[in-house]
Amino acid sequence: MMTRYGMLIDTTKCIGCYSCRTACQRQNDLLPDEGFIRYEHKETGTYPTVSVESVPLQCMHCEDAPCASVCPTGAAHMGADGIVEADQGRCIGCLYCMSACPYQVRVRNSKTGAVDKCRFCAVQTENGTTSCTCVEACPTHARIFGDLDDPNSELSKAIVERDAHPIAGDLTRAKIYYVR
Amino acid sequence: MTYEPIWGSIIAWYLFLAGLGGGAFVTSVFIRFRHPECKKLIRVGHIIAPVVVIIGLCLLMADAFAGFMHPLRFALLLTNFGSVMTWGVVFLAVFVVVTLIVLIMDFMHKESPKWLDIVGMVMGICVAVYTGCLLGVCQGFPLWNNALLPVLFLVSAVSTGMAAVLLAGVFVAPDEFNTVVSLKKFHFWLPVVEIALVMALLFITAANPSQAGWDSVMTIICGNWAIAFWVLFIALGLVIPIVLEYWMLWFAGHEMETSRTGQMISGFSDLGVLVGGFVLRLLIVSAALPITIVQPWIF
Repeated sequence: MMTRYGMLIDTTKCIGCYSCRTACQRQNDLLPDEGFIRYEHKETGTYPTVSVESVPLQCMHCEDAPCASVCPTGAAHMGADGIVEADQGRCIGCLYCMSACPYQVRVRNSKTGAVDKCRFCAVQTENGTTSCTCVEACPTHARIFGDLDDPNSELSKAIVERDAHPIAGDLTRAKIYYVR
Repeated sequence: MTYEPIWGSIIAWYLFLAGLGGGAFVTSVFIRFRHPECKKLIRVGHIIAPVVVIIGLCLLMADAFAGFMHPLRFALLLTNFGSVMTWGVVFLAVFVVVTLIVLIMDFMHKESPKWLDIVGMVMGICVAVYTGCLLGVCQGFPLWNNALLPVLFLVSAVSTGMAAVLLAGVFVAPDEFNTVVSLKKFHFWLPVVEIALVMALLFITAANPSQAGWDSVMTIICGNWAIAFWVLFIALGLVIPIVLEYWMLWFAGHEMETSRTGQMISGFSDLGVLVGGFVLRLLIVSAALPITIVQPWIF
């Protein structure tokens, strides 16, 4: 069976500390103004009993990726193991993928003009290499990375146990699952 | 998060100029068919068509910064035929080549073959429709993601193309300007159709299941873009041209219509159509809001 990488983000554990975002910037050597993880905050309740939910958003690695279908140069494309890739050497910077992405999680590199986004770099840690990914950096272990096609993976089990779903229903066939 | 539009005024200029160029060539073919004696107006259309499209393409390439720094990457534009942009590149390439050949033949005082005119006209229409489809396939924007936009852009493209040729005609070929009555009458109806299309677009976008549709429409009709929409697009770009042309074509006497004053009034209405055509592209590009920012799953 093929590997099909995905992720679970448990927002009930997320404290909104932005560790994942800064770790990602360091791991992927991003510019100071370039972040692959965007935070949205949802406030509920009425004063004084209010709560704030932090929702980190990033490339959902959609199986039916709209970015890849509109990209005229093939820079945005479906790579191996279900990871949507953004080939920096092919991108002309037309930003069509940014318009097509319904999650608004693609970012333009202000130096090169090319569009980039979450690379699922956590895949590098599969063989035990330690690195500075969002998954490892999260102090509350809100993130689990793994193979969606392996029913015995920690990820697959957690998705079932915690009833995790893609953030926007069937908007696209997203591979990041959220516990809310 | 506050939303910043992904595409800015440069893209609006490009969409406007691409449509204008396509429309201008359609106009030159129309004149050749109905008023073959108006050689100067035909030539005006032949000049405007490739020139404005090439200017638009230069703007587009400068805006695509990563490609601008590595021009060889533009060759990759022909790799994904599932992308509307790739089809646009094909239409634009054929259009520019055909219109340049027609223009050169015109300058050499040779009649361009009819079939070449038809190929250029079809490509001009394809370019205009593609500018709408380009935005239309972006599912995240209710203002774009509907089948009306390509039709609206096509009507606006032909309207602005005809307005550009007529406006230039007022100054370079005033005699021929008085002759092309059937062109003027055809042109009169385009802003009328456009009003219907814009109303339909706004009503349907406002009724989109996502809040973003309603918000986009409100931004246009009573928000940040309201003045541009009502004054520059609806009044200057549609209503005033309709009123002035109606007066010139059906009310004013022949003497008034063909006088210098009459020509200037027509020229002013054509200028309004051009301003409105650009403002329409600017509004559509800038006022579209994405569903994810206001989608219920977040707020």
